[in-house]
Amino acid sequence: MKVVGIDHLARVEGNGGIHATIDGKVVSDVKFTINEGPRLIEKLVLGRTPEEDASMSPRICAICTCSHKNAVLRALENAMDITISRKAYLLREIMHMGEFVESHSLHTFYLALPDFLGFPNAIAMASEYGFEVKIALEMKHYGNHIMKVTNGRFIHGENAVVGGFGKWPTQEELLFIKERALQFMPFVFKTVDLFCGIDYPGVPVAETQYMCCEPGDDKYGFWGDEILISTGEKYFRDDYTKVTNEFVVPHSFAKHSLYNGNAYTVGPLARIVNLGERLQGETGKMFQKYYNDSWKTNPFYHNPSRALEIMFAFERIPELVDEFLKLEDEAPRKEYTPKDGKGTGLVEAPRGLLIHHHEVTDGKVSFADIITPTAQNAADIERYGHIAAQALLDQGKGDEDIRRHLDIVVRAYDPCISCSAHMAKIRNAPENDWQLRLAEVKDQGSPVFIGIGNPSLGDDAAGIEMARAMKQQGVENVWLESEIEENDGLGTEDNGQPFILLDAVDLQETPGKVTLLPMQIVLQNSALSHKILPIVSEVLNPRQMQNAYLLGIQAGSLVEGEGISPSVLQAMERVLRQLSN
Amino acid sequence: MKIVKMKRENLSSFLEAISREAELWAPVKKGVDTHAFQVVKDFSEIDLNYTRTILPPRKILVPSRFNMFQATKTEYTPDFSHVSNKIIFGIHPCDISGLLTMDKFYSYAIEDPYYLESRKKAMILGHSCWPDEHCLCKSTNTHIVEEGYDLFFTDLKDFYLVWIGSTQGDDLIRLVPDLFEGEIADQDIQRFMQWREDRDKAYSSEINFVAMADLMELRYNDPVWAKLGEACLACGSCTNVCPTCNCYNVEDRPVLGAEHSNISRCWDACTLENYSGVAGGENFREKRADRLKLWYTHKLQAYISKYGKPACVGCGRCIATCPVDINIKTVSDSLDGANPDAFWNRLSQEVTK
Amino acid sequence: MSDNNKLKIGIYELTGCAGDALLILDCEMELLDIFNAVDIQSFLMAKSDNIDGDLDVALVEGSVSTEREIEELKDIRKRSSIVVAFGLCATVGGIQARFSEEEWTQNLKEVYGDTEMTHTKAVHSKPIDAYINVDFYLPGCPVGKDQFLNFFTRVVQGAPPESYPVPVCVTCKYNENDCLLNKGIPCLGPLTADGCGSVCPNHDVPCYGCWGPAEGANLTSEYHLLQEKGFDIEAIKKRMSNYSGSKFQEFFEQFKNKESK
Repeated sequence: MKVVGIDHLARVEGNGGIHATIDGKVVSDVKFTINEGPRLIEKLVLGRTPEEDASMSPRICAICTCSHKNAVLRALENAMDITISRKAYLLREIMHMGEFVESHSLHTFYLALPDFLGFPNAIAMASEYGFEVKIALEMKHYGNHIMKVTNGRFIHGENAVVGGFGKWPTQEELLFIKERALQFMPFVFKTVDLFCGIDYPGVPVAETQYMCCEPGDDKYGFWGDEILISTGEKYFRDDYTKVTNEFVVPHSFAKHSLYNGNAYTVGPLARIVNLGERLQGETGKMFQKYYNDSWKTNPFYHNPSRALEIMFAFERIPELVDEFLKLEDEAPRKEYTPKDGKGTGLVEAPRGLLIHHHEVTDGKVSFADIITPTAQNAADIERYGHIAAQALLDQGKGDEDIRRHLDIVVRAYDPCISCSAHMAKIRNAPENDWQLRLAEVKDQGSPVFIGIGNPSLGDDAAGIEMARAMKQQGVENVWLESEIEENDGLGTEDNGQPFILLDAVDLQETPGKVTLLPMQIVLQNSALSHKILPIVSEVLNPRQMQNAYLLGIQAGSLVEGEGISPSVLQAMERVLRQLSN
Repeated sequence: MKIVKMKRENLSSFLEAISREAELWAPVKKGVDTHAFQVVKDFSEIDLNYTRTILPPRKILVPSRFNMFQATKTEYTPDFSHVSNKIIFGIHPCDISGLLTMDKFYSYAIEDPYYLESRKKAMILGHSCWPDEHCLCKSTNTHIVEEGYDLFFTDLKDFYLVWIGSTQGDDLIRLVPDLFEGEIADQDIQRFMQWREDRDKAYSSEINFVAMADLMELRYNDPVWAKLGEACLACGSCTNVCPTCNCYNVEDRPVLGAEHSNISRCWDACTLENYSGVAGGENFREKRADRLKLWYTHKLQAYISKYGKPACVGCGRCIATCPVDINIKTVSDSLDGANPDAFWNRLSQEVTK
Repeated sequence: MSDNNKLKIGIYELTGCAGDALLILDCEMELLDIFNAVDIQSFLMAKSDNIDGDLDVALVEGSVSTEREIEELKDIRKRSSIVVAFGLCATVGGIQARFSEEEWTQNLKEVYGDTEMTHTKAVHSKPIDAYINVDFYLPGCPVGKDQFLNFFTRVVQGAPPESYPVPVCVTCKYNENDCLLNKGIPCLGPLTADGCGSVCPNHDVPCYGCWGPAEGANLTSEYHLLQEKGFDIEAIKKRMSNYSGSKFQEFFEQFKNKESK
């Protein structure tokens, strides 16, 4: 048993890592960890005035600072019933486009491209790709310039305020932005061709759910008042908790989110999958040219999606500037008196759906809830990482290959500037890994046990026998496979407790080896799932599935009519001892 | 000295003509009711109906930061790139007096080439003004200037009387002589005399500057300084807005990827804590009260003994600027025995309460 | 070209928004010069071939917020001749450092419940000088671009960085903004270290204090001034403490004692 992974990914808006636990032939676990400490931003803004909140909340993240600014402002303005002017609305959109240009060009050219061209970093790439590096730097600079003109500075600007803006930029400044956008177009076309033309790795491939803002009016865009899911459902902004279900996981200071009990993906790929058909103009043509169904199942297609969005931004900026300048001059901000209320602001940050919910009581912020894209992606990053690691392991790939691949899978999500991985370590996990995991599972509540297997097929009796033994010991909530069928379900109360299936498994390990696997992983492994799938799909609802595990003992002999082999019997004793502790 | 007349409607034609000669600086509206000298291209931006700009026009001659030299390990090259031909239009008598004070200071013992070069290439086109409640220039006798300008425009509603103070000024008039009339009618003179009288009456503030030098000495240990120190925000604003302040700091700024450094000169302010910092981490004016005392003694006493008059030109900027009411008026009044209702007096009650 | 004679630099991120490291990448037009001027040994955000060896200069961003970060920071100190506190979080602890130990513990519990973190233990956020000696401080949220380039270029040439701390008001006056304090708006310019170019007042927005406390700031006076302008004591304290980390806490304690007398 060993852990393959990366302690310090080159950032999740800072400092994070990813680790795969490899148990012989099986990747038993993948964890995406945030090494940074908690900052408690949602608590820090309490008691502050709305304007202080709007200054502090965006400090969560430097690269998505404008997204946070737009999200917190939308939330506070919804809470206090403030409608900003059309001019202010347009300027906020220009500012948002600046962030997309800056963030996407940084990620695609500097953080992702070296992976696909085989360089350790973009500066090293400059020797061979001098032109691309130079123009992309200018493009990034241009994105920053837009943020500076609209919001006051590149990072943590303060010109966007509750009610509008502190000051309007000048006409010259905006016309310059428009001119530059037009000048960049030839390079933008190259960017799309480059990133849509890369032959991305075929692993991992899996379906997922995609989630993004519904911009409305059948348009592509980066904010809205509804959340749109690839399954077709829509939720109004205030119902966001029904969608995200944030919960705490012990291995990370970022909370994780699930929808319908399953991981989901937000970000450029989610937007392109959900909204790509709505793209117009040159971007629309490029979408039609390059997009196909394989994008939907492979996270590496976040990269061409980013390229398409760069083009979208460059097409949109001149339109926005033109409309802004056509409108009559008016005061940049609406004066307001704070009033009580609750409001939610939804925007698309470059790396995905960002939700801000803020409440105002007596002129002060009384509650804040912020759900970041990386927190929402965490569960899917782990899932896709797991699938990738398992696939490479199945192909007989070594630790170094797995580590490198995990690195680029994580980076594909651009977890706040680029959880682009770097310092990787491989360390051996302890032999008693399953015991440690079991202890973690038991901490979540008293588990329900289900023993499964064929009692007359040699070692396959192990699951049933262990369950019987536990029943005899008086352990509660223990079921045999056969009892479930008779009872038509478990009939136990659902109070969020974990489910543990006991079974003999064939992972081609030494007989008697014990493994504890989360059900999500079991179901992806056909060798494991054929037997288990019918049972769990009948008995467990999707939510329970999230908290279900397989405790498997490697079988030795599976001969009809023979008893359980000695090594498996010993393993059963160890397991029972552990379970009764 | 010669005085000519110009119809009001000719002003923009005149500005048009002279702006072809040099960079034209003039007061423009900055904030809601504040102004600043800026380079103007569009003459409609010029707002002559202003009282005082936030920064005095010395910023045009000595920018808040500029490079003095480019230096390598072995040699240096002076950098005069901030110096160019300029016309400063719309400058009030107090600010012209401020420049006259700067002239003396920057050439008294050692000549400062950066200031003097800038000054030589700048033409001063003065403009009359109307006092508000902060203007003290009548007390400092700087409400009317007789030198220090190339042209001076006195606004008499539908026409200007234009004083020609130098041959360079005269040259400007000669660019568009048709805009000016040599004959000044009697009723125009009457109008000017009436304007002067009305303006004199419009002053509502005054200070007894004559006694101030002595009072500074006599009240050197007055407890009022401690009170001022308690309130002073040490923000340097009074110093930065003063038309006669001239202290600067010099910094080495190496250039990335190059072999040279820029030797950069930037404004400094004696009211800031680090101004009196010296090697070894010592600071001989760590207390705000000591720094304020330095500033006021310098303005109201040291200048008089050196140059014969105080360094205050009565522009009222420190009064308009200081959020805690520490300014030439309240400090003078206080040293004079009055007890102004200033923030620092109210603060002292608060602190000792 | 051999990197042997170049200064070995490491750029590290602890807990924060990563804005200061990002600021380096935002020097787009100077970026190649920066990478050429020094030997950047470690910079997670920008490169993958990072080495943790001996360094001439370490720039450390972020506050110390986990036990693991304490260890990392101590290790960086051991390996580096010069350690620079890079940005607001490293210099004063950032917004996350303004809770008292007690408030922090309570709030952590409210956010994360009873879940025990398995990967590392969170600790009350502190500036880096709470654990190690710091040679230079470069405040900012994030550090200003000019501020960084000046600093970096001097250090590269072996010169100590210029340190001439002034409050925001100085640049704000240079920029000839309306004084917001005089208009009755609670601007923290006089209390706040300059370096941002007075960006908020330039936009008619009051200074929120995000560069952290200015050296020699007169808190007493501004505190009373805002009170006189009609703001209540709690609102003033909150505003002043938002970005000052733990630095203004002592000051408020004094007032609490005085008021309770």
